[in-house]
Amino acid sequence: MSSLWEPSGAPRCAMADDAKPDAKTLQALRDAANRLRIHSIRATCASSSGHPTSCCSAAEIMSVLFFHTMRYKRTDPQHPDNDRFVLSKGHAAPVLYAAWAEVGDISESDLLNLRKIHCDLEGHPTPRLPFVDVATGSLGQGLGAACGMAYTGKYFDKASYRVFCLMGDGESSEGSVWEALAFASHYSLDNLVAVFDVNRLGQSGTAPLEHCTDIYQNRCEAFGWNTYIVDGHDVEALCQAFSQAAQVKNKPTAIVAKTFKGRGIPNIEDAENWHGKPVPKERAEAIIKLIQSQIQTQGNPISKPPVEDSPQISITNIQMTSPPAYKMGDKIATQKAYGLALAKLGHENKRVIVLDSDTKNPTFSEIFKKEHPERFIECFIPEQNMVSVALGCATRGRTIVFANTFSAFFTRAFDQIRMGAISQTNINLIGSHCGVSIGEDGPSQMALEDLAMFRSIPNCTVFYPSDALSTEHAVYLAANTKGMCFIRTSQPETEVIYTAQEKFEIGQAKVVLHSDNDKVTVIGAGITLHEALAAADNLSQQGIAIRVIDPFTIKPLDAATIISSAKATGGRVITVEDHHKEGGLGEAVCAAVSREPDILVHQLAVSGLPQSGKPGELLDMFGISAGHIVSAVRNILMN
Amino acid sequence: AMADEARPDSKTVQVLRDMANRLRIHSIRATCASSSGHPTSCSSAAEIMSVLFFHTMRYKQSDPESPDNDRFILSKGHTSLYLRGADWTEDVDRQETNFLLDLRRLHSLLETMITTLCIQRLSFVDVATGWFGQGLGAACGMAYTGKYFDKASYRVFCLMGDGESSEGSVWEALAFASYYGLDNLVAIFDVNRLGHSGAFPAEHCIEIYKKRCEAFGWNTYVVDGRDVEALCQVFWQATQVKNKPTAVVAKTFKGRGMPNVEDAENWYGKPMPKERADAIIKLIESQIQTNRNLVPKPPIEDSPQISITDIKMTSPPAYKVGDKMATRRACGLALAKLGHANDRVIMLDGDTKNSTFSEMFKKEHPERFIECFIAEQNMVSVALGCATRDRTIAFASSFAAFLTRAFDQIRMGAISQANINLVGSHCGISVGEDGPSQMALEDLAMFRAIPNCTVFYPSDAVSTEHAVYLAANTKSTCSGLSLCFVETEQAAVIVIWLARAGFEPTTLRVIRHSVNDKVTVISAGVTLHEALAAADDLSKEDIPIRVIDLFTIKPLDSATIVSSAKATGGRVVTVEDHYPEGGIGEAVCAAVSMEPDILVHRLAVSGMPRSGKPIELLDVFGISARHIIVAVKCILKN
Repeated sequence: MSSLWEPSGAPRCAMADDAKPDAKTLQALRDAANRLRIHSIRATCASSSGHPTSCCSAAEIMSVLFFHTMRYKRTDPQHPDNDRFVLSKGHAAPVLYAAWAEVGDISESDLLNLRKIHCDLEGHPTPRLPFVDVATGSLGQGLGAACGMAYTGKYFDKASYRVFCLMGDGESSEGSVWEALAFASHYSLDNLVAVFDVNRLGQSGTAPLEHCTDIYQNRCEAFGWNTYIVDGHDVEALCQAFSQAAQVKNKPTAIVAKTFKGRGIPNIEDAENWHGKPVPKERAEAIIKLIQSQIQTQGNPISKPPVEDSPQISITNIQMTSPPAYKMGDKIATQKAYGLALAKLGHENKRVIVLDSDTKNPTFSEIFKKEHPERFIECFIPEQNMVSVALGCATRGRTIVFANTFSAFFTRAFDQIRMGAISQTNINLIGSHCGVSIGEDGPSQMALEDLAMFRSIPNCTVFYPSDALSTEHAVYLAANTKGMCFIRTSQPETEVIYTAQEKFEIGQAKVVLHSDNDKVTVIGAGITLHEALAAADNLSQQGIAIRVIDPFTIKPLDAATIISSAKATGGRVITVEDHHKEGGLGEAVCAAVSREPDILVHQLAVSGLPQSGKPGELLDMFGISAGHIVSAVRNILMN
Repeated sequence: AMADEARPDSKTVQVLRDMANRLRIHSIRATCASSSGHPTSCSSAAEIMSVLFFHTMRYKQSDPESPDNDRFILSKGHTSLYLRGADWTEDVDRQETNFLLDLRRLHSLLETMITTLCIQRLSFVDVATGWFGQGLGAACGMAYTGKYFDKASYRVFCLMGDGESSEGSVWEALAFASYYGLDNLVAIFDVNRLGHSGAFPAEHCIEIYKKRCEAFGWNTYVVDGRDVEALCQVFWQATQVKNKPTAVVAKTFKGRGMPNVEDAENWYGKPMPKERADAIIKLIESQIQTNRNLVPKPPIEDSPQISITDIKMTSPPAYKVGDKMATRRACGLALAKLGHANDRVIMLDGDTKNSTFSEMFKKEHPERFIECFIAEQNMVSVALGCATRDRTIAFASSFAAFLTRAFDQIRMGAISQANINLVGSHCGISVGEDGPSQMALEDLAMFRAIPNCTVFYPSDAVSTEHAVYLAANTKSTCSGLSLCFVETEQAAVIVIWLARAGFEPTTLRVIRHSVNDKVTVISAGVTLHEALAAADDLSKEDIPIRVIDLFTIKPLDSATIVSSAKATGGRVVTVEDHYPEGGIGEAVCAAVSMEPDILVHRLAVSGMPRSGKPIELLDVFGISARHIIVAVKCILKN
């Protein structure tokens, strides 16, 4: 067991100052903490909402981090060499804003516009503010992102910056926290420090472990972390703990800080029912006066500048140096083509990284790993943490991130994905094994709601390539696209239907099959596009010509091509998708033509709960095979 | 008798060993026949399964669904072969071996993963697993129900793989079980080292498992998972421990008993080479010394008789038209009332009870409220577990945005055909100042995509109460209730329905109509009130509009939508406090997609929202009364 009071090894001389600041500095840090308290109380009073008590428990931690421990450029919060800070307990946003106000990046008067519609100081932090890397406010997600930053710092940037994550005690009930703790110790992220602000009280009652800091310590140590218990209101102890953490090699450090919610506010400190409530307006001035009376110094200690040793990098404008090496008619699964494209992309830019969650052989990301082992992160099974790590790696434009797993398992990380959008992230998520076409493994492995999920994410580009060639283009487009991207890939081997010269754009559908006499427009993607082509063959033998469209991206959807095709085929449209009816391709098309008169859309989709079987049998059983498309076309033409 | 259980005689021990080997042979045969599957994962757990099913667990072979039976949850679902092996081929009917050979063939009774069919036909299975890390949470729900609601003797066993222990949901469940002292729960970690694609981080660090389980408050034993005597003993010891759940960390080898396959990488999910199967089977057979079967001990029959069907609303909702109340508060009141109507109604929350108002239920029925703390995945899994075998009517509430955390659990709940009710509060931008992280704007897309899920979106206190009662009585995978946050700041939450109005899950309600209506406006929740405000303004300009309150978003009452649309010249406006994708607008577009001459104009939240006052945000993001008026006028101009 490591203990703060039994330092392991002698600290280096230069560090002595860091560990034991003089009395004057200590007083200045105490005073800074109290100023942060006052700002938090004022701001939340002005907005009549917010969480001042959650800010007060963390005031000393914030003060020591921002004015003593962390190294950063005060005027350039986004600088790649800066130490990173993640406020996982996002509801304590006012104390973060207060810290940056004291640093000088925000004016004090702005603090009073907290939570107002024209102010970027939102209820929970978002990257609308330059000093926020990832949005927080859905609890238990900050540490995973911090892991991504620390991994990037240690293994990709090989730089000196360190990463600090402040967490609440309540959020440590989230399993994602333990996923991150396991990840960080597995990868020996000694540049990472997690601070647990153990203030005993949650939103609606006590947190499960209350003030049992020893249980936190046991758990953190069992998860492989160097762990200290400190009095979270003792700036001297905090300085020493942070300093010691910097000396520990190959282990991340957890600081379990025993604190009191609402610290410094009489009758509110450590009392229940004060979560998320401003102090009573009539008491505010008296409280502030009391806190002010403890302040003895003016001005804050100056933070140290960072060590500038991050490499210069470029992650934009990645060119495809050679066209895809597929011939029409080649048979290959899009999920394999993804793995090959990724490995190729890795040669074009050395900041391309890939994360996988113990699925690298079925998802084919092992092809990338083979060629670029140093840029592959095995995240083991936890998908939530994989997405959070990806978010962290992509911050400050340090890497181009691809993270893949079975598409069904991204549902595990929906909240992280949602928060990723709020974080304005550029990560790329690739979901394989979509739909009933995976066959034998059964419904738990089949993604039938992934399009609904990713389409609902603002600014997310949703690719659904139908052959190997377009998959390669999707990978390159995703790498170059701002905002989150999702690529949906399939398990069955399908024919290459495009030539190497074909150009692909986001939001541009391909009319794969057409003639002047087309009677119906059929829109399919992935496996169902091939079913549509088979149906077209079958129908042409009966003298019925149909138009077949490959949307390529489901979001944005090429409404113009769909509408013009529909009009050219008598307003008759069939959508066919290996997905549930809700929120997928069919509804996207219905919505796209909803303001056009005389276009009728017939949806073919998977309804009910699927089961195991052979892919071909399942496509037929769930009504999305070529046979069903043929029947649907004939039905529509009969009416 | 206890001594017997802890230390069975040498004859029994040999039978248990032999049964383990027979299970092993079944799984090799079955996966060979289907050319895919997970025989190596099965093989590592053979002794554990043998001891549990033929020595430790108490259950009625003839009545696998009996409420008194011990529960078994196979969290490592890819081992589910064993469940069939143990339950069917050994116990019930040797003929079933033929079904095993049909494994993975469509229409056969046996599928690789425990799925729908299993639940319908293999009644032994309580919840679907097959992806990692969800079984233990469900087991916690069963154990909680056994200990606190049924106060019965049955015990709960959960077999987990080592790979899945890296899922955070496992640690959520471990923390939950020790917090509530679930001494009727045993978790077995089958630590066989090899996952999908290589060695796991903890490798054979059994000590790490032990340390972690102990740090999470569990009584923990380490055993050799191939030693049936040791297994018998620890399972017995577990029964003697009070107020602590027990973890059994069993060191095993994947592919145990298969020469050159045991403990080698790259055998995950791969069947034996066919040509080698016979030789391997012969080798395993040679170790079998008996052909006796053991009969499991019968359960203690002390579960209470209960009824959870046909719950009546004993008095109509006590609201008058014009009363002001947020639907989340009305939901809390309705749940408290429902709790009086049936004493098997339970409520789960994740440290949001003062915001979701589930604390109103807690106040009146404290013994039926489960605080799950901030772990939404586990909350949903626990709810699934509590609802198995129809032991409770479970409602679980959180901010709707945070239910996204449990999408995978909700999805698996659907596959389990569970009857749980999820209540999501704080939907949409009308949350206001707290900002986008707290706003649910994709919850309808999520719940609509769940097969057989009924999605309620009540617009006032009266319809909220009806939704709660309907959800309690509805046999569907799950019900999602989307609840408004807004309470007092605007007129948007006045009661609009008479207390005696009848509500059906499949019938929407036309709230405003006249014969001259020009446009149909379809909405729910806070935006319905915006639509009503718009209707008031427009009527002053002599533009009557029809306003529809959807009440349920799924199933959608397409017939009424189509007839209303036709009555208003095919002009429809949808308005929703949700992103444009997967919500009300697209549901309506899909519902009318086969109708010519119906045009749908959608108003929804586009782009990334931000903090602000609810009323400002509704306007900035284009879903306020003003925007509805503009849309209506614009449509009429064209």
